[in-house]
Amino acid sequence: MVAAAATSAFFVAASSNPDSSTKTNKVGSGSASLGGIKSKSASPGGLQVKANAQAPAKINGTTVGYTTPMESLITEDDVPSSPPPRTFINQLPDWSMLLAAITTIFLAAEKQWMMLDWKPRRSDMLIDPFGIGRIVQDGLVFRQNFSIRSYEIGADRTASIETLMNHLQETALNHVKGAGLLGDGFGSTPEMCKKNLIWVVTRMQVVVDRYPTWGDVVQVDTWVSGSGKNGMRRDWLVRDCKTGEILTRASSVWVMMNKFTRRLSKIPEEVRGEIGPYFMNSDPVVEEDSRKLPKLDDNTADYVRRGLAPRWSDLDVNQHVNNVKYIGWILESAPLPILETHELASMTLEYRRECGRDSVLQSLTAVSGAGIGNLGNSGRAECQHLLRLEDGAEIVRGRTEWRPKYANNFGTLGQIPAESA
Amino acid sequence: MAAQCRFMGPHGPFYSRRRKNAVVFTTPVDNKQRGFQVKAVLSEQGRVELGTGNWADRLRLGSLADDGLSYKEKFIVRCYEVGINKTATVETIANLLQEVGCNHAQSVGFSTDGFATTTTMRKLHLIWVTARMHIEIYKYPAWSDVVEIETWCQSEGKIGTRRDWILKDYSNGQVIGRATSKWVMMNQDTRRLQKVSDDVRNEYLVFCPKKLRLAFPEDNNSSLKKISKLGDPAQYSRLGLMPRRADLDMNQHVNNVAYIGWVLESMPQDIIDTHELQTITLDYRRECQRDDLVDSLTNTEPNEETEVISGLQGTNGSATATGDKQDYCQFLHLLRLSGDGSEINRGRTEWRKKPAR
Repeated sequence: MVAAAATSAFFVAASSNPDSSTKTNKVGSGSASLGGIKSKSASPGGLQVKANAQAPAKINGTTVGYTTPMESLITEDDVPSSPPPRTFINQLPDWSMLLAAITTIFLAAEKQWMMLDWKPRRSDMLIDPFGIGRIVQDGLVFRQNFSIRSYEIGADRTASIETLMNHLQETALNHVKGAGLLGDGFGSTPEMCKKNLIWVVTRMQVVVDRYPTWGDVVQVDTWVSGSGKNGMRRDWLVRDCKTGEILTRASSVWVMMNKFTRRLSKIPEEVRGEIGPYFMNSDPVVEEDSRKLPKLDDNTADYVRRGLAPRWSDLDVNQHVNNVKYIGWILESAPLPILETHELASMTLEYRRECGRDSVLQSLTAVSGAGIGNLGNSGRAECQHLLRLEDGAEIVRGRTEWRPKYANNFGTLGQIPAESA
Repeated sequence: MAAQCRFMGPHGPFYSRRRKNAVVFTTPVDNKQRGFQVKAVLSEQGRVELGTGNWADRLRLGSLADDGLSYKEKFIVRCYEVGINKTATVETIANLLQEVGCNHAQSVGFSTDGFATTTTMRKLHLIWVTARMHIEIYKYPAWSDVVEIETWCQSEGKIGTRRDWILKDYSNGQVIGRATSKWVMMNQDTRRLQKVSDDVRNEYLVFCPKKLRLAFPEDNNSSLKKISKLGDPAQYSRLGLMPRRADLDMNQHVNNVAYIGWVLESMPQDIIDTHELQTITLDYRRECQRDDLVDSLTNTEPNEETEVISGLQGTNGSATATGDKQDYCQFLHLLRLSGDGSEINRGRTEWRKKPAR
């Protein structure tokens, strides 16, 4: 089982908690996107007047006013309003009465306005200019936008899978923080801390339908549900902000463990009381891939890459390697013919153990099914993976599925080779 | 392919006149360039018509300054960009500098293929390569802090151009860092350096401040310091470092920021535990390819200039006078190819004791 570090990597990476108590992280304090905790009774859609009324976001510990209308004025239909007065919270009842009448007028007038940073149909993004994220949908879903930065682009000009996973990690963290459940800075709620319990990720499934490119803005939604009797599942849905198209779906399974004894634990009643209200209990966003992941060894692997070592920037506050880095290492031994012509369509990972600064890892890959030689014909490829320490201790087992690059694009940006190199 | 049009920045038509002859790329997406669509046009009434603007442009938190000569953008620090010190890593800072540089180039109409080249440069197969990078950080931002970075460029002598940055904490406007970089022109095919011709210079100079503006205006500042090659044998080393796929940029080269990580790899653990990086200067000499292995070597640098460093620290008004010599230390670095020992780059770092938290 993966230890705390995995949790910390997924739930709360570094730190801000103890240090920034002067800033925004006190439970229930006016940090960005917090108002939503109490909004469970808010009418779905509709004018969430009180539910999402928020204090102006705190950036760097000081209050920064937004120059865009607060979301409380915006309905699901994204009705615009005039340039935002800052004391509008007091004026809400007035606005709500007038809104219906002025809607059409404003829609027409909008085009005449000089304020370019205003886009009524996607106002939620402008509410959140720094991408801090906010709680939506009756307080159960956390939503955050990310614009893809140039350095997050991989060698094939699209956001790398690591970038996408980083975004998932960030939203998970912000969700926990935004829900006021950041007990110790490692994703443990206050009750869990009292009992020395931590969340540990055991399984992760990601399906990527299309990779965003530099300059795209993606919207990540995340929520939690129960998983079995004593587990928790966290799902993510990533959409393209502009088109609403679904880009990525991911689902992760977590178990509770005592951080000292390293034994699995049931979810205590007190903890259930804390997190239960946040369980959405929806179906998993990615259908569970229940196929067994085989353990590879030197004989069954087709490709092995040795001597993989963590760098300083791979480490979190505890000097454990951040989960997302494992994916990079897994791909280090993926065969070049596949990497060059295919893109990762889906990935299933089973986490076994964590590693730290001084670990030296090996990455093994076996290509299943048709094999490299038939890539051009079948199109799709599948690989099995193992990441382990030099002494054989397993870190992660995985399966990846690949589809030809540019299969989703209209252009003929590259040729799929008829046969492998 | 390229269409001429006027386009508006997020803050209004202030520079629409300047933009009259701007070439804005509207090519469809192809291998080399990302399509850069028209954001908005000025209609006859002088109003803004919202065009089919690139989505990120409209949400972009960055924009050209009123005089069009510099570019500012805000970034929020994400959790995975924070390192063992609970603050943004120097690689994160370097990435953001690179990002804002790219966005600046894009906003003035240079290519978006990652090379930031002018039209003439592309015709002649010329690209910019980094010669030196110097970053000073006075206060590292933490998770969810917002950093505002301003950048501009100007020409540097006959063969180069310089890009400077100033980093500020957005919440209080305090300067938290400065950086400068020097670039030279290289022929993409022959990989040989080339002088900046007047055509090229004129193409980009229009976007540069006319008066000399330096992030490091003070005399004898450490961005100008010559870096000596460290002696053999090195006190600390980490050998056989391997580029990862994530180190490759969109043009399949090891990106500049990866070198910073490698330089720090051979830093001794006890300094990493007690100090934080204040300054890093890197001279880039040779490129590293995907399949190369790299050795990272570090030596302490003789400590004659503690006072100078303390002086530079004074930006926050809390200089520690000369302080204890242990509070500050400096190191020399060398990255070389494991294979034949040829120098990839050399560097210099200054470290200060971590602030109490």
